[in-house]
Amino acid sequence: MKSIKGKASSSPPDTPAVSPSRRSSFYHPAEETFATILDYYGIEWEYEPRTFPLEWDERGNVIEAFSPDFYLPQQDLYIELTTLRPKLSTKKNHKLRRMKELYPEINVKLFKRKEMRDLMVKFGLYEQAAMIAGTGAQNQDK
Amino acid sequence: MPVITISRQFGSLGSQIARESADLLRYRLVWRDLINESALRAGAPGAALAMIDELGLLGISLSKREVQEFRKALRQVMGELYKEDNVVILGRAGQIILRGKRSVLHVRVIAPAKLRAERIAARHQIAYENALAQVKASDENRSKFLKRLFKIDWDDPLLYDLLIDTSQLDVTQSARLITQAVTSLPGKKHAGVLS
Repeated sequence: MKSIKGKASSSPPDTPAVSPSRRSSFYHPAEETFATILDYYGIEWEYEPRTFPLEWDERGNVIEAFSPDFYLPQQDLYIELTTLRPKLSTKKNHKLRRMKELYPEINVKLFKRKEMRDLMVKFGLYEQAAMIAGTGAQNQDK
Repeated sequence: MPVITISRQFGSLGSQIARESADLLRYRLVWRDLINESALRAGAPGAALAMIDELGLLGISLSKREVQEFRKALRQVMGELYKEDNVVILGRAGQIILRGKRSVLHVRVIAPAKLRAERIAARHQIAYENALAQVKASDENRSKFLKRLFKIDWDDPLLYDLLIDTSQLDVTQSARLITQAVTSLPGKKHAGVLS
Protein backbone atom coordinates (compact mmCIF):
# COMPACT_ATOMS: atom_id res chain seq x y z
CA MET A 1 0.00 0.00 0.00
CA LYS A 2 1.24 3.46 -0.88
CA SER A 3 1.27 6.09 1.77
CA ILE A 4 1.55 9.53 0.35
CA LYS A 5 -0.40 12.38 1.78
CA GLY A 6 -1.05 16.05 1.27
CA LYS A 7 -1.43 18.44 4.16
CA ALA A 8 -4.21 20.93 4.69
CA SER A 9 -3.52 24.63 4.91
CA SER A 10 -3.51 25.74 8.53
CA SER A 11 -4.61 29.24 7.62
CA PRO A 12 -6.37 30.71 4.62
CA PRO A 13 -4.10 31.85 1.84
CA ASP A 14 -5.30 34.79 -0.20
CA THR A 15 -4.36 32.79 -3.20
CA PRO A 16 -3.55 29.08 -2.93
CA ALA A 17 -0.03 27.72 -2.91
CA VAL A 18 1.42 24.82 -4.87
CA SER A 19 3.54 22.26 -3.10
CA PRO A 20 6.52 20.38 -4.60
CA SER A 21 5.98 17.60 -7.10
CA ARG A 22 5.62 13.94 -6.10
CA ARG A 23 5.56 12.63 -9.65
CA SER A 24 7.09 9.21 -9.01
CA SER A 25 4.59 8.20 -6.32
CA PHE A 26 1.49 8.02 -8.46
CA TYR A 27 0.20 5.29 -10.70
CA HIS A 28 -1.18 7.67 -13.29
CA PRO A 29 -0.17 11.23 -14.27
CA ALA A 30 -3.76 12.42 -13.87
CA GLU A 31 -3.65 11.36 -10.24
CA GLU A 32 -0.67 13.58 -9.60
CA THR A 33 -2.45 16.43 -11.33
CA PHE A 34 -5.45 15.88 -9.13
CA ALA A 35 -3.21 15.84 -6.03
CA THR A 36 -1.69 19.10 -7.22
CA ILE A 37 -5.14 20.66 -7.44
CA LEU A 38 -5.88 19.48 -3.92
CA ASP A 39 -2.58 20.96 -2.73
CA TYR A 40 -3.37 24.16 -4.58
CA TYR A 41 -6.54 24.49 -2.54
CA GLY A 42 -4.87 23.31 0.68
CA ILE A 43 -7.07 20.21 0.93
CA GLU A 44 -5.64 17.34 2.97
CA TRP A 45 -5.55 14.03 1.06
CA GLU A 46 -4.35 10.43 1.19
CA TYR A 47 -3.55 8.37 -1.88
CA GLU A 48 -5.25 4.97 -2.18
CA PRO A 49 -5.39 4.43 1.59
CA ARG A 50 -8.00 1.68 1.59
CA THR A 51 -9.25 -1.22 -0.51
CA PHE A 52 -12.87 -2.31 -0.31
CA PRO A 53 -13.64 -5.95 -1.16
CA LEU A 54 -16.62 -6.19 -3.52
CA GLU A 55 -16.95 -9.87 -4.51
CA TRP A 56 -15.86 -13.14 -2.92
CA ASP A 57 -15.63 -16.69 -4.26
CA GLU A 58 -17.22 -19.65 -2.48
CA ARG A 59 -14.08 -20.03 -0.32
CA GLY A 60 -14.35 -16.45 0.88
CA ASN A 61 -11.43 -15.16 -1.18
CA VAL A 62 -11.77 -11.65 -2.51
CA ILE A 63 -12.12 -11.75 -6.29
CA GLU A 64 -13.07 -8.14 -6.90
CA ALA A 65 -12.10 -5.04 -4.95
CA PHE A 66 -12.13 -1.30 -5.28
CA SER A 67 -9.40 1.13 -4.18
CA PRO A 68 -10.56 4.72 -4.65
CA ASP A 69 -7.70 6.97 -5.78
CA PHE A 70 -7.93 9.49 -2.96
CA TYR A 71 -9.38 9.98 0.48
CA LEU A 72 -10.03 13.48 1.79
CA PRO A 73 -10.18 13.13 5.58
CA GLN A 74 -11.54 16.59 6.31
CA GLN A 75 -14.44 16.02 3.94
CA ASP A 76 -14.68 12.30 4.75
CA LEU A 77 -14.84 11.68 1.03
CA TYR A 78 -13.25 9.13 -1.35
CA ILE A 79 -12.42 10.26 -4.87
CA GLU A 80 -12.13 8.13 -7.97
CA LEU A 81 -10.80 9.62 -11.21
CA THR A 82 -12.11 8.33 -14.48
CA THR A 83 -11.84 8.80 -18.23
CA LEU A 84 -14.72 9.08 -20.64
CA ARG A 85 -13.98 5.76 -22.35
CA PRO A 86 -17.33 3.95 -22.26
CA LYS A 87 -15.92 0.50 -21.42
CA LEU A 88 -13.93 1.72 -18.43
CA SER A 89 -16.68 4.03 -17.36
CA THR A 90 -19.20 1.17 -17.29
CA LYS A 91 -16.83 -0.95 -15.23
CA LYS A 92 -16.26 1.80 -12.71
CA ASN A 93 -19.94 2.58 -12.46
CA HIS A 94 -20.59 -1.08 -11.68
CA LYS A 95 -17.98 -0.95 -8.89
CA LEU A 96 -19.48 2.22 -7.50
CA ARG A 97 -22.97 0.69 -7.45
CA ARG A 98 -21.58 -2.32 -5.61
CA MET A 99 -19.77 -0.02 -3.17
CA LYS A 100 -23.05 1.72 -2.36
CA GLU A 101 -24.74 -1.61 -1.73
CA LEU A 102 -22.02 -2.98 0.52
CA TYR A 103 -20.72 0.18 2.16
CA PRO A 104 -23.57 2.69 2.22
CA GLU A 105 -21.84 4.81 4.86
CA ILE A 106 -18.83 5.46 2.60
CA ASN A 107 -18.94 8.56 0.39
CA VAL A 108 -17.32 8.16 -3.02
CA LYS A 109 -17.32 10.78 -5.76
CA LEU A 110 -16.34 10.15 -9.36
CA PHE A 111 -14.34 12.82 -11.18
CA LYS A 112 -13.92 13.00 -14.92
CA ARG A 113 -10.46 14.27 -15.64
CA LYS A 114 -10.88 15.38 -19.25
CA GLU A 115 -11.01 19.12 -18.62
CA MET A 116 -8.43 19.45 -15.87
CA ARG A 117 -5.46 19.91 -18.15
CA ASP A 118 -7.03 22.64 -20.29
CA LEU A 119 -8.08 24.60 -17.25
CA MET A 120 -4.68 24.35 -15.64
CA VAL A 121 -3.02 25.67 -18.78
CA LYS A 122 -5.51 28.52 -18.88
CA PHE A 123 -4.63 29.47 -15.31
CA GLY A 124 -0.89 29.36 -15.88
CA LEU A 125 -0.29 26.14 -13.95
CA TYR A 126 1.94 24.85 -16.72
CA GLU A 127 4.10 22.54 -14.67
CA GLN A 128 1.06 20.83 -13.27
CA ALA A 129 -0.67 20.63 -16.63
CA ALA A 130 2.38 19.03 -18.21
CA MET A 131 1.94 16.05 -15.90
CA ILE A 132 -1.01 14.99 -18.00
CA ALA A 133 0.75 13.92 -21.16
CA GLY A 134 -1.91 14.85 -23.70
CA THR A 135 -4.47 12.42 -25.01
CA GLY A 136 -2.21 9.44 -24.39
CA ALA A 137 -2.60 9.91 -20.66
CA GLN A 138 -6.33 10.23 -21.07
CA ASN A 139 -6.44 6.78 -22.61
CA GLN A 140 -4.54 5.02 -19.86
CA ASP A 141 -6.27 3.48 -16.93
CA LYS A 142 -5.76 0.91 -14.24
CA MET B 1 -19.25 39.95 21.96
CA PRO B 2 -19.28 40.65 18.23
CA VAL B 3 -18.91 38.50 15.20
CA ILE B 4 -17.25 39.70 12.00
CA THR B 5 -17.99 38.26 8.59
CA ILE B 6 -15.50 38.99 5.83
CA SER B 7 -16.32 38.47 2.18
CA ARG B 8 -13.40 38.93 -0.17
CA GLN B 9 -12.46 38.84 -3.81
CA PHE B 10 -9.68 36.54 -4.96
CA GLY B 11 -6.39 38.43 -4.68
CA SER B 12 -7.89 41.27 -2.64
CA LEU B 13 -5.76 40.46 0.46
CA GLY B 14 -9.01 39.68 2.29
CA SER B 15 -7.64 36.51 3.89
CA GLN B 16 -4.62 38.29 5.35
CA ILE B 17 -6.86 41.08 6.57
CA ALA B 18 -9.15 38.55 8.24
CA ARG B 19 -6.15 36.93 9.94
CA GLU B 20 -4.74 40.22 11.16
CA SER B 21 -8.13 41.44 12.39
CA ALA B 22 -8.62 38.21 14.32
CA ASP B 23 -5.15 38.57 15.85
CA LEU B 24 -5.71 42.19 16.83
CA LEU B 25 -9.06 41.45 18.42
CA ARG B 26 -8.03 38.08 19.85
CA TYR B 27 -10.94 36.47 18.01
CA ARG B 28 -11.04 33.01 16.52
CA LEU B 29 -10.73 32.90 12.74
CA VAL B 30 -13.12 30.41 11.18
CA TRP B 31 -12.43 29.47 7.63
CA ARG B 32 -12.73 26.08 6.00
CA ASP B 33 -13.85 24.10 9.04
CA LEU B 34 -17.21 25.74 8.65
CA ILE B 35 -17.94 24.32 5.23
CA ASN B 36 -16.42 20.93 6.01
CA GLU B 37 -18.62 20.59 9.07
CA SER B 38 -21.69 21.81 7.19
CA ALA B 39 -21.09 19.44 4.29
CA LEU B 40 -20.64 16.50 6.66
CA ARG B 41 -23.85 17.35 8.52
CA ALA B 42 -25.66 17.71 5.21
CA GLY B 43 -24.43 14.34 4.02
CA ALA B 44 -23.10 16.15 0.95
CA PRO B 45 -19.28 16.10 1.15
CA GLY B 46 -19.04 17.28 -2.46
CA ALA B 47 -20.55 20.59 -1.40
CA ALA B 48 -17.43 21.45 0.61
CA LEU B 49 -15.25 20.79 -2.43
CA ALA B 50 -17.55 22.83 -4.64
CA MET B 51 -17.12 25.81 -2.33
CA ILE B 52 -13.36 25.36 -2.13
CA ASP B 53 -12.96 24.89 -5.90
CA GLU B 54 -13.16 28.54 -6.80
CA LEU B 55 -11.35 28.15 -10.11
CA GLY B 56 -13.74 25.40 -11.20
CA LEU B 57 -10.87 22.95 -11.75
CA LEU B 58 -12.83 20.05 -10.30
CA GLY B 59 -16.04 20.83 -12.18
CA ILE B 60 -18.30 19.71 -9.34
CA SER B 61 -22.03 19.86 -9.87
CA LEU B 62 -24.40 19.48 -6.95
CA SER B 63 -27.92 18.14 -7.00
CA LYS B 64 -30.83 20.27 -5.81
CA ARG B 65 -31.11 18.11 -2.72
CA GLU B 66 -27.40 18.53 -1.91
CA VAL B 67 -27.70 22.31 -2.24
CA GLN B 68 -30.76 22.40 0.02
CA GLU B 69 -29.21 20.21 2.69
CA PHE B 70 -25.91 22.06 2.59
CA ARG B 71 -27.64 25.42 2.91
CA LYS B 72 -29.59 24.18 5.90
CA ALA B 73 -26.47 22.82 7.60
CA LEU B 74 -24.48 25.98 6.84
CA ARG B 75 -27.15 28.08 8.55
CA GLN B 76 -27.11 25.75 11.53
CA VAL B 77 -23.32 25.75 11.96
CA MET B 78 -23.07 29.51 11.49
CA GLY B 79 -25.85 30.03 14.01
CA GLU B 80 -23.79 28.08 16.52
CA LEU B 81 -20.76 30.26 15.78
CA TYR B 82 -22.85 33.38 16.30
CA LYS B 83 -23.74 32.17 19.78
CA GLU B 84 -20.08 31.42 20.44
CA ASP B 85 -19.01 35.08 19.85
CA ASN B 86 -15.56 36.56 19.26
CA VAL B 87 -15.32 35.04 15.85
CA VAL B 88 -14.14 36.22 12.46
CA ILE B 89 -15.90 34.22 9.74
CA LEU B 90 -14.08 34.32 6.43
CA GLY B 91 -16.36 33.83 3.41
CA ARG B 92 -19.02 31.11 3.41
CA ALA B 93 -21.98 33.47 2.99
CA GLY B 94 -21.77 34.89 6.48
CA GLN B 95 -23.07 38.21 5.18
CA ILE B 96 -26.34 36.47 4.22
CA ILE B 97 -26.83 33.98 7.01
CA LEU B 98 -26.10 36.45 9.80
CA ARG B 99 -27.73 39.39 8.07
CA GLY B 100 -29.68 41.59 10.48
CA LYS B 101 -28.25 39.86 13.57
CA ARG B 102 -27.22 42.06 16.45
CA SER B 103 -23.50 42.81 16.94
CA VAL B 104 -22.37 41.41 13.62
CA LEU B 105 -20.13 43.45 11.35
CA HIS B 106 -20.22 42.52 7.67
CA VAL B 107 -17.08 43.47 5.77
CA ARG B 108 -16.32 43.23 2.08
CA VAL B 109 -12.73 43.42 0.78
CA ILE B 110 -12.28 44.31 -2.85
CA ALA B 111 -9.67 45.57 -5.31
CA PRO B 112 -9.66 46.21 -9.05
CA ALA B 113 -9.30 43.03 -11.11
CA LYS B 114 -6.11 44.34 -12.73
CA LEU B 115 -4.42 44.86 -9.38
CA ARG B 116 -5.55 41.48 -8.06
CA ALA B 117 -4.20 39.79 -11.18
CA GLU B 118 -0.87 41.59 -10.76
CA ARG B 119 -0.62 40.40 -7.15
CA ILE B 120 -1.37 36.80 -8.12
CA ALA B 121 1.03 36.90 -11.06
CA ALA B 122 3.80 38.17 -8.79
CA ARG B 123 3.11 35.67 -6.02
CA HIS B 124 2.94 32.60 -8.25
CA GLN B 125 5.32 33.86 -10.92
CA ILE B 126 2.83 33.31 -13.69
CA ALA B 127 1.86 35.47 -16.66
CA TYR B 128 -0.51 38.34 -16.05
CA GLU B 129 -3.04 36.90 -18.54
CA ASN B 130 -3.17 33.61 -16.60
CA ALA B 131 -3.55 35.42 -13.31
CA LEU B 132 -6.35 37.50 -14.78
CA ALA B 133 -8.05 34.29 -15.95
CA GLN B 134 -7.86 33.02 -12.34
CA VAL B 135 -9.37 36.25 -11.02
CA LYS B 136 -12.22 36.12 -13.54
CA ALA B 137 -12.91 32.45 -12.88
CA SER B 138 -12.91 32.95 -9.14
CA ASP B 139 -15.23 35.97 -9.32
CA GLU B 140 -17.60 34.08 -11.58
CA ASN B 141 -17.62 30.87 -9.55
CA ARG B 142 -18.04 32.54 -6.16
CA SER B 143 -20.80 34.74 -7.51
CA LYS B 144 -22.60 31.82 -9.17
CA PHE B 145 -22.39 29.65 -6.09
CA LEU B 146 -23.81 32.31 -3.78
CA LYS B 147 -26.53 33.07 -6.27
CA ARG B 148 -27.49 29.42 -6.44
CA LEU B 149 -27.31 28.93 -2.69
CA PHE B 150 -28.96 32.13 -1.49
CA LYS B 151 -30.20 33.93 -4.61
CA ILE B 152 -28.15 37.04 -3.85
CA ASP B 153 -25.68 39.23 -5.69
CA TRP B 154 -22.52 39.16 -3.56
CA ASP B 155 -21.45 42.50 -5.04
CA ASP B 156 -24.52 44.23 -3.60
CA PRO B 157 -22.99 46.89 -1.29
CA LEU B 158 -26.11 46.85 0.89
CA LEU B 159 -25.04 43.45 2.21
CA TYR B 160 -22.06 45.03 3.98
CA ASP B 161 -21.39 47.53 6.76
CA LEU B 162 -17.85 48.23 5.63
CA LEU B 163 -16.32 48.04 2.17
CA ILE B 164 -12.53 48.12 1.93
CA ASP B 165 -10.70 48.67 -1.34
CA THR B 166 -7.12 47.48 -0.93
CA SER B 167 -5.73 49.40 -3.87
CA GLN B 168 -4.80 52.16 -1.42
CA LEU B 169 -4.94 50.50 1.99
CA ASP B 170 -2.56 47.76 3.11
CA VAL B 171 -3.41 44.74 5.28
CA THR B 172 -2.65 46.42 8.62
CA GLN B 173 -4.53 49.60 7.81
CA SER B 174 -7.53 47.56 6.70
CA ALA B 175 -7.45 45.36 9.80
CA ARG B 176 -7.35 48.45 12.00
CA LEU B 177 -10.39 49.88 10.22
CA ILE B 178 -12.25 46.66 10.99
CA THR B 179 -11.25 46.67 14.64
CA GLN B 180 -12.37 50.28 14.97
CA ALA B 181 -15.70 49.51 13.34
CA VAL B 182 -16.37 46.42 15.41
CA THR B 183 -15.57 48.10 18.73
CA SER B 184 -18.19 50.73 17.98
CA LEU B 185 -20.93 48.17 17.37
CA PRO B 186 -23.85 48.43 19.75
CA GLY B 187 -24.90 45.53 21.92
CA LYS B 188 -22.47 42.96 23.15
CA LYS B 189 -19.44 43.72 25.26
CA HIS B 190 -15.91 43.71 23.91
CA ALA B 191 -12.75 41.80 24.70
CA GLY B 192 -10.60 44.76 23.67
CA VAL B 193 -8.13 45.42 20.95
CA LEU B 194 -4.44 44.63 21.12
CA SER B 195 -2.37 47.71 20.47
